[in-house]
Amino acid sequence: MTATPTLKKILLVDDNPLFLKMMAKAFNKAGFECVIAHSANEAIRHMATDVPHAILSDYQMPIMNGIEFRKYVLKQPLLKDIPFIFLTDFSDKDLVITGLGLQAIDYVLKDTPVSVIVTKLYNLLNTVSKQRELSEMEVKKAAAALNIRTVPQKAPDIEGYEINFWHQTFQDIPGGDFIDFIPVTDRFNFIILGDVMGKKWMAWFLSFSFLSYIRAAVRFGVSSQEYSPAGILAKVNEIICGDDALKDILATLSLLMVDKETNQITYAGAGDLPVIHYQAKTKKFEQLRCSGLLLGMFADGQYDEKQIDMRSGDQLFIFTDGIIDYATADGAKSDYNLFTAQLEKLTGSSNSFNKVKQFLIQHPPHTVVDDSSIIHIYKK
Amino acid sequence: MIDIIKEQNNYLLVDIKLHEANMASADAFKTEIVSLLDTHHKKVILSLHQVNYIDSTFLGALVSALKHAISLKLDIALVGLKKDIYDLMTLIRLDKVFKIYDSFTDATTAD
Repeated sequence: MTATPTLKKILLVDDNPLFLKMMAKAFNKAGFECVIAHSANEAIRHMATDVPHAILSDYQMPIMNGIEFRKYVLKQPLLKDIPFIFLTDFSDKDLVITGLGLQAIDYVLKDTPVSVIVTKLYNLLNTVSKQRELSEMEVKKAAAALNIRTVPQKAPDIEGYEINFWHQTFQDIPGGDFIDFIPVTDRFNFIILGDVMGKKWMAWFLSFSFLSYIRAAVRFGVSSQEYSPAGILAKVNEIICGDDALKDILATLSLLMVDKETNQITYAGAGDLPVIHYQAKTKKFEQLRCSGLLLGMFADGQYDEKQIDMRSGDQLFIFTDGIIDYATADGAKSDYNLFTAQLEKLTGSSNSFNKVKQFLIQHPPHTVVDDSSIIHIYKK
Repeated sequence: MIDIIKEQNNYLLVDIKLHEANMASADAFKTEIVSLLDTHHKKVILSLHQVNYIDSTFLGALVSALKHAISLKLDIALVGLKKDIYDLMTLIRLDKVFKIYDSFTDATTAD
């Protein structure tokens, strides 16, 4: 028997070092990663920085016993849903009932053969994982049925330009990134790239609210002849700061307005990463930085905008923070300059999007849990 | 996840004990820091010297904690940021909302 493909981490808590050693050996042999703690306090210290997939804990321990440990775990939002199994030396009905009352999934007698304990845990983790997959599949199905999406299926045709984008979800779970293209008049098109800061599904749901506000603000702005991305950002921010449902939710946003008549693009940003402008004539790369704060932070978001003259062969790259994540020996790091250096190597006088896309597919960003998006604008 | 290193009359020096500050720990971090602000009612000087990576969800929790501090007429200052993290915070303009110092000493003498 082997453990599931991603190595599952088990936390074993017992004051008996011999028993711990024996159990750890059996779990390691079965393909689990096993962390041992000789007391509940040691386990709590460990979980402050490293969260296991399951906890097996003894009942009888000095200072803090298994029941007290379980009560502590249940009070921690980050730990309370981890499958918890009690280990006990004897079959005490009252203890078992107390333990199960504390939402422990099971209890196991210590004289149960180790291979049976390992199998039990293996089956338990498999069930938990399948349940999660089923729930996620249900939400995905519902979203597909409602035809709601935060990333369009294809890029728009804008006369004089080629627009492309690339979006990658984390483990196929949608995140907080959202993309939209809004043709408002024959002359103007808006391009939107945003990222709601938050947990996977939660961020995804909230990104609809943000996107709805932004779409509405763009439309209202245009209907009142306001062709200013900074002005639109200020309005969106004002509404979001006043919406209790979005309290404490923040988002980055890059908003670009393409003017086909003047060959100008106006860009305003809210806490977003600087946009890269490749100027074909001089072969130079420029970072365009706006001063606006994250949407939802303060009522006065200090939004400003930049005018970009787009000449033939010019290219713009707009991206979210997932794109600039890299793996390191210690884990991960965010490195904007490293990514822009790579962009500079890949970008030349012709449309560079396919090269950039190929690079991103071959060297996907090392996001720990985030999704990644990039929009590319090429002036023909 | 966070340790109080020092408590003075007007501030708390607090250490984040994480190498990767990401989505997995963001909620718990926010709960802990909000509870510190509510209980001690003091400015928090937060050290990120152990943190090598911070994702957008954790940044969101940090900003949300700052908003809570401001609502209590308090503040959160940051110290000990590694270069990558400092650069990221500057790029997304968080340096305009957080006071950022090199060390605890700089943060405490700045007041």
